[in-house]
Parts: sequence; structure tokens; C-alpha cells
Amino acid sequence: MPFVAPLALLGLLFIPAVIAMYLLKLRRAETVVSSTLLWQRLVADVEANAPWQRLRRSLLMLLQLLLVLLLALLAARPFLERPAGLATDLVMVIDTSASMGATDVSPDRLTAATQKAIEALRDLPAGGKVSVVAAGRTARVVVNATADLGRVRAALEGLRVSPATGDLGDALVLADALASRSGDAEILVATDAALAIPPTTRIEHTVKVLQVGRDGRNQAIVALAVRQGASGVSRSVFVSIANLALQTAQRRLQVFGDGVLLEARDLLLDPQTRAEATIDDIPFGVAVIEVRLDRSGGAPDVLALDDRAWAIVPPERLRRILLVSDGDPYLETALTYLPNTELYGVKVADYGPATHPELFNLIIFEGTLPAELPATPVLSIAPTSSSVLGEVVGTLKDPAIGSLDPAEPVLRYVDLSTTHVGTAVKLALPAWARTVIPGPAGAPLLYAGTVSGRPAAVLAFEPRLSDLPLQVAFPILVSNLVGELMGGSSTPSQALEPGSPVTLPLPAGATGLKVTKPGGETVDLQPGTPGGGSASFSQTDQLGVYSAVPILDASATPNSAAPVVTATPSTTATSSAATGLASPTPVPTPPSADPNAPVRFAIDLFDPAESNIIPGSAAAIVALGGGLTSGPDRSAGSAPLPSAPSGSPAPSSASPAPSGASAGAGAGAGAGAGAGAGAGAGAVTDRPAARDELWIPIVLLVLLVLMVEWLTYQRDAATRLWRAMRARVGLAPPASPGTGTPATHESRRDR
Amino acid sequence: MDGPLGNPQPADAAAPARTNAGSSGHDRARRVHLPSDLDPTVFDETFLRQLERLQVLMRAPVRGGLKGGRRSVKRGQSVEFADFRDYALGDDLRQLDWNVLARLEKLFIKLYVEEEDVTISFLIDTSASMGSGRPSKFLFAQRAAAALGYIGLASEDRVAVTTLGGRAGRRQVALRGSGRVFRLLSALSAIAVAEGPTDLQAAARHAGAQLSGRGVIVLLSDLLDPHADRVIRELAATGSELIVLHLLSPQELDPALEGDLRLVDVETGDGVDVTVDLATLDSYRQRLDTWRDGFADLAARRRATYVPLSTVVPLSDLMFAELRRRQVVG
Repeated sequence: MPFVAPLALLGLLFIPAVIAMYLLKLRRAETVVSSTLLWQRLVADVEANAPWQRLRRSLLMLLQLLLVLLLALLAARPFLERPAGLATDLVMVIDTSASMGATDVSPDRLTAATQKAIEALRDLPAGGKVSVVAAGRTARVVVNATADLGRVRAALEGLRVSPATGDLGDALVLADALASRSGDAEILVATDAALAIPPTTRIEHTVKVLQVGRDGRNQAIVALAVRQGASGVSRSVFVSIANLALQTAQRRLQVFGDGVLLEARDLLLDPQTRAEATIDDIPFGVAVIEVRLDRSGGAPDVLALDDRAWAIVPPERLRRILLVSDGDPYLETALTYLPNTELYGVKVADYGPATHPELFNLIIFEGTLPAELPATPVLSIAPTSSSVLGEVVGTLKDPAIGSLDPAEPVLRYVDLSTTHVGTAVKLALPAWARTVIPGPAGAPLLYAGTVSGRPAAVLAFEPRLSDLPLQVAFPILVSNLVGELMGGSSTPSQALEPGSPVTLPLPAGATGLKVTKPGGETVDLQPGTPGGGSASFSQTDQLGVYSAVPILDASATPNSAAPVVTATPSTTATSSAATGLASPTPVPTPPSADPNAPVRFAIDLFDPAESNIIPGSAAAIVALGGGLTSGPDRSAGSAPLPSAPSGSPAPSSASPAPSGASAGAGAGAGAGAGAGAGAGAGAVTDRPAARDELWIPIVLLVLLVLMVEWLTYQRDAATRLWRAMRARVGLAPPASPGTGTPATHESRRDR
Repeated sequence: MDGPLGNPQPADAAAPARTNAGSSGHDRARRVHLPSDLDPTVFDETFLRQLERLQVLMRAPVRGGLKGGRRSVKRGQSVEFADFRDYALGDDLRQLDWNVLARLEKLFIKLYVEEEDVTISFLIDTSASMGSGRPSKFLFAQRAAAALGYIGLASEDRVAVTTLGGRAGRRQVALRGSGRVFRLLSALSAIAVAEGPTDLQAAARHAGAQLSGRGVIVLLSDLLDPHADRVIRELAATGSELIVLHLLSPQELDPALEGDLRLVDVETGDGVDVTVDLATLDSYRQRLDTWRDGFADLAARRRATYVPLSTVVPLSDLMFAELRRRQVVG
């Protein structure tokens, strides 16, 4: 029997020590008794039974010798060898996507997958290293190349389902990169193969799959939106429910407004279809809509994550825009169409400190720019002079619009493909800004950013000098741009994907945000730059409603609030000068909406592909592996790894050809594949065997011997206890202390 | 003890205590003044009065010496009729049954039961082993002998106390008459445990040689002697009625020993190495029972009375229950 630590057998040297202790003369305590008459006779009897008595006396010594032997054996860590079923360097990819939360296997797919992965570790060769990659929305290395299997087990058991769409391909690429560090490596994937984004990238190393899941009964809420009615008064909730199962399902749809049940409907869902529901007349004042999909007599579905969804009702915030212009009907018209917006206008000549620019949420300067910029967000249109917003370096005639970034939020739904600009100001892009609409030769036509803590944007041309106002894109662009500058659009009103970062606006006077997660945890956020107008929040890993409350600076709050109130009367006179504008109402009142009110946003799954939990084909994942070898051969031999790891060792021990892929996943790596496969085969030949350490039976044996030794030592106490128990239940009389009168004999006979 | 024992009085002064026997209402009011040389831990007044109602029984009438309160094998002067016999010349005409003479015209002499005394000999083992135990076996022997001796004196019997120590039996006192009870108690108080080894057989043989006539022998011993059975055999062979009170302490009946010990004999100083565990104690108890059963069988064969006793038995229980049950007293 081989040992991991044979030196520990030196512990057997304690055996002579134990014997020596028993051989040493026993020092007996002297006790004076009235007579040794009876004791002498007793000792004579004991010696008459000497062999048994001697054995009984030495039983303790024998047990202790056995204990020393077992402990030395335990310390030496004996083991049994068997052929390893896995490569020396194993990269485990555990699918943690939302579908792994399905409960069709007990307790859920992720737990079953981690258990299978832990069981598979038994086939790891001695000294093998394990890396663990969690494949959630993004791939994450949980454990990196460790031989400490306890740590691996703990990491596997610590994995949690991520309520997001998983990207297994990303994780496989990462795992492939990790596996490339070793000559003998393979990738073990534990997944349900119900993949929202099927991986397509081929990877170099062998892939084995531990598949879990057997049921696809799931219905999901795949869309939820709150829409304002045409009148602008009533609101409706639109819900889309998908039955992703192959059976008809009956479900109950419940709509809650701020936790109060608004409506419940029973839905009969055909297999593989969607159903839409509209709930009208959402009461005014409701801030959060929650939709639940509950069972209604039918069989429950096995994935609960997608049975709830949340939506935020857009807040009724009134925003004020001041347009400093000599008159631009296109722009004024576009601005007036913005919801919850009051538009104020002032002539260029009348703009000054008396206008109280701090009362407005946005100031638009068209064709002009004051010497001192207000602290509020600013949109500058065709500036005539250089300023902190940008340096005017010339004029552009018929500038062409460059390549647009499709991810640019300002350009969402904006189509500029048919837009032509007549004349534009040539500007140099300042360092604080990003280009939104690129122009010719690096001169931007629209850029935005944050300067001196205030959102700002510069449009290089007047809309009326282009055909943009005549296109559908114009009001959308104005809406997006105004929303970007006033923070309106950056506050997500629509549901977001789990894990996606959120930019939250920071109201004036706030030093940060306190974000409360759906689970109740709070996170303090600081703006990215000191004095910045927004903060980024990325811990959106839970489904539900998040709430962000501004953290106000205790010393600055009263000071910043005071001027707003005192400046209000004088604003009337200043703004009365504004004439010729579409909305010449010159009396701004203090804002009705609280700028420090909490900002809410919802994180929802809304992914029918992820909600489709019907287990997919593990062979397709297996076929991705071994990219250096020929594909068809590999796919022919590919099959998911059997769930029981005990079935795997035999092939790899019989021949090095199967390269440890027990079920044939790496069968193509044998005779004459590529160089990589050859190297792999060589590594497999030298692969150490898997070890099964025998410590459990030895520990059990040690405990047994300890118990016997203790019982032998305490046999008197045990016997007394046994007698007392028998006496209590009436089976035997209690031990008589000897009252001096044996009842057996009556010395005086009857006469 | 009810109270202090000051103001010593002569031994005869104890007589009034007997006359007041049975008047329990005055028991607590009246005091018995005990002599100062008496061990105050032995008796109290109530106990003494209870003893007066007891008497040492004998299985058969014995030939005694002086006139006493016990039936004798002899015919003599008493009020209890025993038999008739033919008149012989020289008989006392006062004993002639005149009624029979008148009716049958024959001469018959009436015979009456003679009442004589007997000697109750207490043989007290004073070997060193008797001094051990809690309560002490020797103290128990003293008190038991005193109690039985008091009964004997109250029954107009002769009471003799002999100690068995070393190789000799030494007669300490021989008394008669209930008025001598305090001398008996004083004598019992004065004896002590002998030092050194004791040959119980030799001492008992020596004591047996000092006995005169048949009577009652009460042996008080722990019998922890290799030849204790011979002692019983020899004393029973003297013709006297033998009562063996076998005294053992609780420590001997149920030793509280455990572990590896060297047991040292208090008398001889010899040691025995023994490992005491529950099994050993069980064997010890078994052997003890066998040992005592052997004495009981021997006593039964020799028409002796064997009473195994533990020193934890209260003396009142011994006198009024145990010895009565065994018909040693009645």
C-alpha cells in the first residue's frame, strides 16, 4: 500500500514506548485493611485463572498499541491508485446563468451541477490543478489553478445563480486561455445546455460536459412597459408573457402598483407562444409596477426568476429650459414637444445675470455665448467665439457627417443618413467632450460631455441652416440631447438587463448617492469626478427595483437652496423681455418636483432565450473542443460526460489514446491528429493516477478502538450503570452493600 | 446519652433504676448516676430500662450453682410442680401428698422444679483487626457485651467477661446480681484492643479451659483468623451453649477500594498486591458470603447460634429485633 507521507510511519516508534510503560513496575498505593485474609484467598483464585486474567490486564495495552499503529498509518496517508479520468490541469466552467436556477432537479440545476463537478474531482490525477470559471453574464475566474481541492469545493458550493443571460462562449474562451498554460489540460463544463447565446468559437482543448436539467416547463414575463395614453393623463401597462414549454399552461397574471394588487387575470398559454396583456388606467401616483406570474391550478413552472418583473412609472418632473436666441422656430417647436417641460425664452441682448439662469434646468445658447457660463447644463448651438466649451477655429461649408457610433445614447433612434448641413462652425474637440456627430477632418458637428461639473454639449450648426429640422430625426435628437443634458434620459425609465451599469444623475448639492438594492442592501456611490453631475452604478446583479437617494452635503444644502427662493421675484422683470418665442411665459416658479426625490430603476430579465430552459445538446458544446484536430472526427466521438464519474476511468487506463476523455470526447486526439494532439497524448501517458486516500476507514477504526479502549478502562462504571439500569427496570436487584445478614442461612434451626 | 454523667455513685445505687422499670412516664424525669470510670458513649438510661425486660434464653435446662431464676435439671424448692415419686424413708414429710394418701392409701412425695443460675461468658476478641472499621467493631463488641451482660445480671445469672488477645484468654470480671451492672460496664470500658498478632484459636482454647460447668458462651469476634472455624468447633465442644456474634465493618462488607493497591494487614503487617476493579469486588463479596456461610453451616452442625452482624446495625435493633428473631434473647 503506497503512502503519501511514508515518513510518518516513524510514529510506530511509539509502540516500544507504550510497551515500556507497561513493563515498568507498577507503584501501588498502600492501604491498611483490617485483615488480608480474604484478599489473600482472592488473589489465589485470580492466579488460578491466570491466563485469562493476564490477557484481560493486557487488553488495554493491546488496544493502545493498535491505536498507535492506526494513528501512524493515518499520518502516513495511505492511498489506493486508479487511473485518472481527468487531465492534470482541469478548468471547470460552471454555468451560472438564470436558467440554472430551474428547480426541475433538486434543489436546483446549479446545485446539482456543482455536486456533479465536485464528484468529478475524484477523477483528478494526483497533484492536478483546478481552475473554476463562473459563466454568468460575463465570465469570471473564481479559482485559479489550485491543487487545494477543499478550496475548489468551497468555491463551487459558493456559486450562486446570476439572474442574467449567460454567455457560455465567453467563459469557454476564457477557460481555453487558462487551459493553455498547461500541456495536459481539459475543460469540464457543468451546464444545462439551455443556452441563450449558443457558443460558436472553437477552442483548442478537450471539452467534457456534465449536463443537468430534464424539464422545460417554464413561462416567463418577457416584456413589461408603462405607456402614457394619447391624452397624456391615463397610463397603461403592457405585459408580454411567453410560454416556452411544450405543453399548454394556465397562469395567473397579477399586476401590483406600489405593492397593491391592481388586477389579476388568468391566462391560457399555448405551447411555444406569447400572449400580450394590457392593463389600462393605472392610478395616478403609482411609482412602481410589479407583475407576477402565479400558478393558477396548473403545474408550476420550474424557473421562478422570470415570473416577476418590475417597471418604473416615469416621474412627473417639470423641467425648465431657457432658450437664449433671437428666434429659431424649428428649435422652439421641437422643444415644446418635450413632455413635462416648460420653455422660456430671452433675447440674446437681454440675457444677463438678472435672468437668473440658476432657476433653469437647461440653457440653450443659439449663435451666442456669454462671457461667463452659468452653472446649469448648457447647450451651445453654433457658438461664435471660443470659450471653455470649445475653440472656434473656422467655418465649415457643407460638412459631411462622419461615421456614427451606434452605441451613442444621444443618437438612439436618430437617423442622420439623409441629413445635410449647409454651414457649420469649425470647432476643435476639447478634452472633456466626446464626439457625438463627427464631421470632416476631425472637426465634430456635435459633442457632449461634462465641463466644470456641468453637463454641456455643443452643436456646430444652426438647425435652420440644415435640412435636419425637416426630418424625423430632429425632434428625437433634440429629445435625446436635452435628456442627456438634464439628466432625464440618463435616468433609466425602461428596464435594464441584470449586470448592466447604470448612470444616475446627481442633483445639485448632492455629494453622492445611496443606492438601495432590491434585497435591502445599500451602496454609497460617489461621482466619477469630483463635482460631477452623475455617478455610475454597476452592482445591478439582482432583479427588482433599485432606489437611489441623493446624499446631501449638510453644510451646502441650505446655502444652495436660498438663492432659488430670493431670486424668484426679480426673474419676472427679466424674462418679460423675452418676446417672439413660442412659449413666452416669463415667470418661472420654484420647481414643483423635488430634485432630491429618489430615483428608481428596474432590473428585469426579459430574455426569452434565457427563459427557455429546455436542456440543449451537450454534444454541441463538446464538439467545440479540440480545435486543433479535425472537426468531423471529434464531433463523431463527442458525447456528454456520463454523470457518474465512476464510469470514466477505464478507457484512459487501457490506452493513452483516448486522452482521458472517457466518453470519447477527445477520441480524435489519438492516432495522427495535429501536433497539439500529439503533445496531449504524450502528456496523457505521463499523467499520474488518481488517488483515493483511505483516511475515512482508518479514522472510523481509530474511533472504534478508542471507544473500546475507553469502555475497557471504564468497564466498572459501565457495569455499574448497566446494573443500575437493570435495577431500575426491575430486571435485577440492586447491588447489596452487605448488611451483615445473609438471608441464605439461618443458623438457629427450628426446634 | 441524655445528660452529663457527673456525681458518681456506688454501683449498688443503680438498684432504683430497676424498680422503676415500666413507669415510662417517669423515665425522662429520673436520672441514673453512672460511675465516672464508665465509658459514657456506651449506654443511655432509656436503653438500660429496655434491657431489663429481656432475658437470655437457653435451649435446655442447665445445672447451675447457686439458686437463681432459671429452670434447673434438679428438683428442688419452688412453687412449680414437676412430678411424683414413691416415698422413701427419710423424705421430708412436708412434701408428702396427703390428698393421695387419703384417697389411695399410698405414700407419694411431690417434686418441684428447682431454679438455679447459669454463667454467661462473654469472649471478646481484642485482636488489632477488631479496632478497625467505622463504626469500630471493638466498640460494637463492647456495647453488645454490655447489653447482653446487663440482661444476664438482671436475670440473676453469673456474667463473666474474658478477652481474647495474643495467645491467652484473660478473665476480666465475673459478676452476679443486678446491682453489679456498673462494675460490668466499667470492666468492659477498661478493656482495649491488643497490639500485635493474635492467635484466636489459642486464646479461645485458653479461655475455654477457664470455664466451669455448662453455661452460655457469647463469642464476639470478626473471626478474621485462619483457624476461626476451629475456635467455633472447640468452644461448642465445651458443652456450653455457644452464641457467635460475627462482627464486620461496612468497609469489610463492601470495600470502597479501586485501582492498583497494596493492602497491608493491620495485625501482621503483611501486604497483598491487588488490582481492585468491579470484577475483583464482586469476587470479594462472593468469597465473603461463602466464608460467612461456612461459619453458619458449622454453627448449625454444632448446635451453636451464628449471628452475622454489621457494625452499622443500631444496638437497639440488634437487641430487640435481630437477637429476638434468632431467639438469643426473649
